[in-house]
Amino acid sequence: MLKSLTRLTTGVLAAAAIGMAGSVSATAADFPTKPVEMTVLFGGTANTIAQVLSELMTDELGNPVVPVSRPGGGGAVGYAFVQGSRPDGYNIVWNSNSINTSHHTGKIPFDYTAFEPVAQVSVETPALAVSSDKGWESLSDMAEAVKAMDGTLKVGISGKGSFTHLTSAALFDWMGIGDKVSYISYGDGKAPVELLAGRIDAAIQWPGQFKSYVDTNKISVLAVTGNERVDILPDVPTASEQGVDINITMWRGLAVPKGTPKEVIAKLESAAKAATESEKFKEASVNLGFTPAYLDASAFGDRIAKDDGFYQELLTSLGMTN
Amino acid sequence: MDSFYQALQLSFSVSAIGAVGLGTLIGLIFGAIPGLTFTVALALALPITFGMDAVAATGLLLGTYIGGMTGGSVSAILLGIPGTPSSAATVLDGYPLTRQGRASIALGTAVIVSTMGGLFSLVVMMVSVNIVSQIAIKFGPAEIFALVLFGMSTICGLSGKSMIKGLIAGALGLMVMTIGIDQIDGVNRMTFGSVNMLQGVNLLVAMIGLFAVPFIIDAFARYARGDKTLNLTGSLKAELPSFGILKANSWLIARCSAIGTAIGAIPGTGGAIAAFLAYDHARRFSGNPDRFGNGSIEGVIAPETANNAVTGGTLIPLLSLGIPGDPATAIVLAGLMVHGIIPGPAMFMNSAVEVYGIYIEVVLAYLFVLALQLLGIRLFVYVLRVPQHLLALVILVLCVVGSYSVRNSVFDIYTMAVIGVMAWGLIRLGIPITPVILGMVLGPTLENEFRTAMALSDGDWDIFYTSPVALAFFGFAALIVVLQSLSGIRLRRNAKLAEKSNA
Repeated sequence: MLKSLTRLTTGVLAAAAIGMAGSVSATAADFPTKPVEMTVLFGGTANTIAQVLSELMTDELGNPVVPVSRPGGGGAVGYAFVQGSRPDGYNIVWNSNSINTSHHTGKIPFDYTAFEPVAQVSVETPALAVSSDKGWESLSDMAEAVKAMDGTLKVGISGKGSFTHLTSAALFDWMGIGDKVSYISYGDGKAPVELLAGRIDAAIQWPGQFKSYVDTNKISVLAVTGNERVDILPDVPTASEQGVDINITMWRGLAVPKGTPKEVIAKLESAAKAATESEKFKEASVNLGFTPAYLDASAFGDRIAKDDGFYQELLTSLGMTN
Repeated sequence: MDSFYQALQLSFSVSAIGAVGLGTLIGLIFGAIPGLTFTVALALALPITFGMDAVAATGLLLGTYIGGMTGGSVSAILLGIPGTPSSAATVLDGYPLTRQGRASIALGTAVIVSTMGGLFSLVVMMVSVNIVSQIAIKFGPAEIFALVLFGMSTICGLSGKSMIKGLIAGALGLMVMTIGIDQIDGVNRMTFGSVNMLQGVNLLVAMIGLFAVPFIIDAFARYARGDKTLNLTGSLKAELPSFGILKANSWLIARCSAIGTAIGAIPGTGGAIAAFLAYDHARRFSGNPDRFGNGSIEGVIAPETANNAVTGGTLIPLLSLGIPGDPATAIVLAGLMVHGIIPGPAMFMNSAVEVYGIYIEVVLAYLFVLALQLLGIRLFVYVLRVPQHLLALVILVLCVVGSYSVRNSVFDIYTMAVIGVMAWGLIRLGIPITPVILGMVLGPTLENEFRTAMALSDGDWDIFYTSPVALAFFGFAALIVVLQSLSGIRLRRNAKLAEKSNA
């Protein structure tokens, strides 16, 4: 504990010094010669994973990696900060699909090409839950019941344009019930409780939020939206197992501003790889409900580019593009 | 019972007690220093807990949370600058008490009633967590909207002489919070194409500006005029409140503990609403309401009891439903999850030891709060001996550091400064500041819950009048407005009569 305390203090002090002594020149081969600042865009799980990751990367790089929270604007503020910083590898961003959605909804004037990918680190898979009282056991049960019912299905999401909203839209469109759904926005992970209270009919959120309710048989989780089942809810089938051909997961990874030297990216990439594949990271992933999923820089870059097209199309169909 | 003994054993280890103590101290310091906030303290403490065992880690986080909640009253009472939004209501009577030279009594009373409120709520939580969480679930968007509207009605009691000025202040607070991305539809509002405006105005940043900047400007202005008096009468003796004060107010303490616990148990509300409701309630039921705002000890007791009773209250939805009530408890939640404790209905089955551990640690944290703060009073009051212009300089630096650290945003420093200068202008115009903060605290909840309720009902208003709970709160709100208007009319009539008899 003392060790991490000292590291935290040196890290914070050094991070403060970065701004003042930005002119210190160092060749890419020595990287890093000072602390690396990791901009974190969101609170909650995103922030906690970033803190675990940065501790592990610190052990790899020998200089502190300091997570600095710059929330707000759905990630726009943090992306703009890192995009405008010097491309020397000392400013990295803990990014996610929000780079695609923020651009297409007009929150930031640049897109993913303003950054160089470093590595994908983790994925989180949304899960669809309904109240156990409904008696639905699969996606087809649900689709049939919804098609037959009057009125609309009330679905809890984390806000229009949020990742859970986009996942819901894609899933329900595929199931053919897209026009019978009305979305109810909740903040701060309140959707499971609203489901429990019966104010909404279904909710798409993260598996960790439903875990405790599933254990007590209050909520049924019908599907996860990725290609693989999630460890925290091993009995829940994927949507594609049930014939609904979608594969949507939220990835998180690291990126640096465009123009960062290749050697620097390679060093960050190998530190991220070692951290992601470590035991400690696996342990944290079980507790926090995400999956470590390392991809190297080029594979990660391909994935971001492919996703960009997908989200542009989805957002356009929802009338949310700018 | 086995898990209880096991928890007892784990919680009374040196590392666990040390962690609670350290957390409490960190929380108290961050809470007590104007500009620094305990949400930031929690964010800094979170990574430290990764290397600790589960019991010590929760101890550190809970200690920081509870210490911070209590520490906010110190600068509220001594300088009139609340350390946390929850202690904004304490300024109203705490600061006048300091100006009358009774700072130490106010501080002592605050810490004792805080502890009482906190322990009361803990007991409620222990014996009734399941029932209370079942009731809390019933609070949907419509009910929370009604409750928050009731909270808005306390503006009536905070407006001072002119209701219009109070309403202006409240509306300003509401409007400021609409800047940024709207949480329901994700639309940019009043951002004028600036990325920095997208992040909106942070409540903590605004609070620092609202209360600290006018203090700084005034202190410098007085110094420039050559007015070097300390502006304080009376002695600086560190005397503690007598048992009599507590005994005379025991019924008030009990009622405010209940208010705080109940508000805390409803997700999406929090310490500030509880403190303002308790303050308003105390004033309304007091034998001499005129003393409120001029240094009434009840005006310190009510909000301080209630805001700490919130701590036990918020643990109910946090542990039994997995919902954090505010940003501070969200960080506590993250800390629990890292250690494999997943809050929710299954927690009491899967992690009984940790749950008992949490109970014990909350008690320990309050004991630390009591000890540290009662010992600290002697030290705290010396702050008043520091010449005001020097003190203002230190506070200025802390405010800049503090507003930056909330979101690591330089833009927030400008926001703090702009809001602060505007607040100073408002004070000069005779517009009270407290309703502004109330509007800011309640505004986002009020708007979001209203819109969510309307989305749930497909735009039908019946969602509000078919819920008995919502109707009850609408009724309370209406009652307060009517009572206030009546007493306003009476005051004016009396004033007219007095004029006539003078003529």
